[in-house]
Amino acid sequence: MTQQETQQVKSQIKSQIKSPIKPQNIVEGMDKHPTAVTVSNLNLFYGGAQALQDVNLIIPEKQVTAFIGPSGCGKSTLLRCFNRLNDLIDICRIEGKIVLNGRDIYAEDVNVPELRREVGIVFQKPNPFPKSIYENVAYGLRIQGMNKRRELDETVEWALKGAALWDEVKDRLNDSAFGLSGGQQQRLIIARAIAVQPKCILLDEPCSALDPISTLKVEELINELKSQFTIIMVTHNMQQAARVSDYTAFMYMGELIEFGATTQVFTNPRLKKTEDYITGRYG
Amino acid sequence: MNKLTRWIRNGTPWIWLNAAAVSACILLVVGLLSLIAVRGAGHFWPTAVQEMVYLDAAGKSVKVAGQVTETETVTAVRLRESGVEVAEGTEFVRRFLLKTGNRDIYSSDFVWILEPSIVSTTVPRSTVILERDEWGVFIGGLVGVRVAGDLQSSADIWDDFQDSLAYANAIREEIDELQNDEIGRVNYSLERLRLKQRKLEISGEDDAAHLADINKAKAILQQEYVGLEEKLNQMYTELRRDEVIVNTVEGQELELPMASILDAHRPNQMGFFRKIGYFFHSLWKFVSEDPREANTEGGIFPAIFGTVLMVLLMSVFVTPLGVIAAVYLKEYAHQGLFTRFIRIAVNNLAGVPSIVYGVFGLGFFIYTLGGSIDKIFYPEALPAPTFGTGGLFWASLTLALLTLPVVIVSTEEGLSRIPRSIREGSLALGATQWETLWRTVLPMASPGIMTGLILAVARAAGEVAPLMLVGVVKLAPSLPLDGNWPFLHLERKFMHLGFHIYDVGFQSPNVEAARPLVYATALLLVVVIVLLNLVAIKVRNRLSERYRGLES
Repeated sequence: MTQQETQQVKSQIKSQIKSPIKPQNIVEGMDKHPTAVTVSNLNLFYGGAQALQDVNLIIPEKQVTAFIGPSGCGKSTLLRCFNRLNDLIDICRIEGKIVLNGRDIYAEDVNVPELRREVGIVFQKPNPFPKSIYENVAYGLRIQGMNKRRELDETVEWALKGAALWDEVKDRLNDSAFGLSGGQQQRLIIARAIAVQPKCILLDEPCSALDPISTLKVEELINELKSQFTIIMVTHNMQQAARVSDYTAFMYMGELIEFGATTQVFTNPRLKKTEDYITGRYG
Repeated sequence: MNKLTRWIRNGTPWIWLNAAAVSACILLVVGLLSLIAVRGAGHFWPTAVQEMVYLDAAGKSVKVAGQVTETETVTAVRLRESGVEVAEGTEFVRRFLLKTGNRDIYSSDFVWILEPSIVSTTVPRSTVILERDEWGVFIGGLVGVRVAGDLQSSADIWDDFQDSLAYANAIREEIDELQNDEIGRVNYSLERLRLKQRKLEISGEDDAAHLADINKAKAILQQEYVGLEEKLNQMYTELRRDEVIVNTVEGQELELPMASILDAHRPNQMGFFRKIGYFFHSLWKFVSEDPREANTEGGIFPAIFGTVLMVLLMSVFVTPLGVIAAVYLKEYAHQGLFTRFIRIAVNNLAGVPSIVYGVFGLGFFIYTLGGSIDKIFYPEALPAPTFGTGGLFWASLTLALLTLPVVIVSTEEGLSRIPRSIREGSLALGATQWETLWRTVLPMASPGIMTGLILAVARAAGEVAPLMLVGVVKLAPSLPLDGNWPFLHLERKFMHLGFHIYDVGFQSPNVEAARPLVYATALLLVVVIVLLNLVAIKVRNRLSERYRGLES
């Protein structure tokens, strides 16, 4: 799609949005939960191309927030802003503010590794390290300087139990992580992420490479984890968003179109664009 | 016609062409290896000694004994041109190269004999071959053994001879030990004392107290040396106790001191299995002994040792340097025009002829760096250079420079093969870039690093040209590794298999004797490189087994 066409489509969408209200203003019931992340006026550019446009969003604490939208709409890009993984891309430039626990994470004095310790991430494809199951979970802990055997053992067990994997791997902790099935690997990655006890966990299409049964297990896990962690997930699967999340953000072409409680977004979307996407008219 | 075009268009001729190319390569490799193996190994096989009677140019009958080392068919025309008379009607003549030994008597130890001129050939069972410490081998008969002046009169001379030889060899071994270990140590200590004294003189601290200390130590060592020398002289007298009386095939009798004989065998009495035993015996001697007689006799142990040690040191130098450079280029440096330029430069460095590295090593490492090191750290030894001359250290460093591009390129490749998701996974857990590198990326790239090292070892072990400039010699007085502190003497010159081949093959006065040694040394060089590579490949396979998986 050329630049011109993109602009055209964008203006079409804008015309469909009858009243351009700031998304954070329209979420009902959000004041029940403390705020975990505030995104304000976020713009993101890859070189000359703009990938996120003026995103404003408030994400509640210890809830599951899902980003939905068609491919290339910027939901993964937005997700990766929360732990500054986009920094790894040389041509990526960010404007705006993301406040996490009352601190602007794009401020000059932010210690990025420390931030990433607070914001875990699980990718689309499981990415275990070429180490044993135990060492995979202990990786983040060792980096934090934990090296007492007992302490490590306890935390690894706690994390594996938290990721509902302990019973399956407790007898082979020293085997290679590559020996696990895809679903087990993904839960191992979740265990690895929660082992360092982050405040927030980012899930980037965590089930898209998994079979239905593994997907179900991960979804159940997400439900359990939200009692302890703020969960932000990107998903392609609308049913999954409806099943798992408490809040849903619909994104399209780099813009946040609608944000609200999941039930509201799925049953009574404010905007036609959202309704069209949810009912499968495009995307 | 139609059929032919179809045949061409379906690609069959290409498949044949490809297969032919592969076959040609395999044939070349197999041919090369088997030529070297057969010629090289043939040197150790105890061929039978033949006694031949032939008519020389003047028609006089001559008797010789020797081992046939080569058979060749030449045209009669060529022989006639060189003045040899050949019967009318013959077109081709076979001739044998006979190794007759006894260079001290015949002045040359090889002779060509034309097949038609041979009158008779016999294989006498009693012929012995004596390996001597000079003049090459002796081939002839055993007449008697004189132990401490008394001619032995037992029925079997061979037994007497064996006893006497074993006795002499035992003493020789003791002498070697005494010379290398104790006398070597005393000499080394004396040399260090001399240098210490010189150092004190230079710094102006050579006051009476210091000098007295040194002189005291010197006196003790010298006393020790006198004692050792006396012991050594006694042993030499003992070594010269016996003599062996031998005769050549034409009946000339002579006495050889037992001290000059190193080994003996009777090939004509050996069965097949004894011959195999002797084959391995002499192969082992070749691998484990020092060279003698300008490298044309004896073994090549110092050359093997030097080659392996140099390659290991080279690996120690090149791996960290190459890996660090590659990590910086790939992971830290901004990927722009400048890094691209550096990458091109590194790749081109791999194409620079190796002798150029030798010149650089000589000019920069040895004269500039080595010269400065000598001035700063070893002024007492000047004008004799310590590091200001070729040596193991500079040779290893020069080869490390030569193989650096290979290591950098393959490390970079190894690094770029690591999936992005692994790095992100590590960073997302709060690891810094350095921690990610050290804990995850580098271990996963280690098979790539090993590949680079394997290529580097293969190249370095076979390199000769630059080494000739930076520290390889035809005969090194001592190994670079010994029992004297600091054990590894990096400044010493060393021997190298590749250079040994060149030296034996092209600098030797005795061409015929040197030829089999060239093949044998070449064979060993190949074996050493293959072994070094096998070890590295084994390590790499183990590493890649460990870090396998996650294809993405």
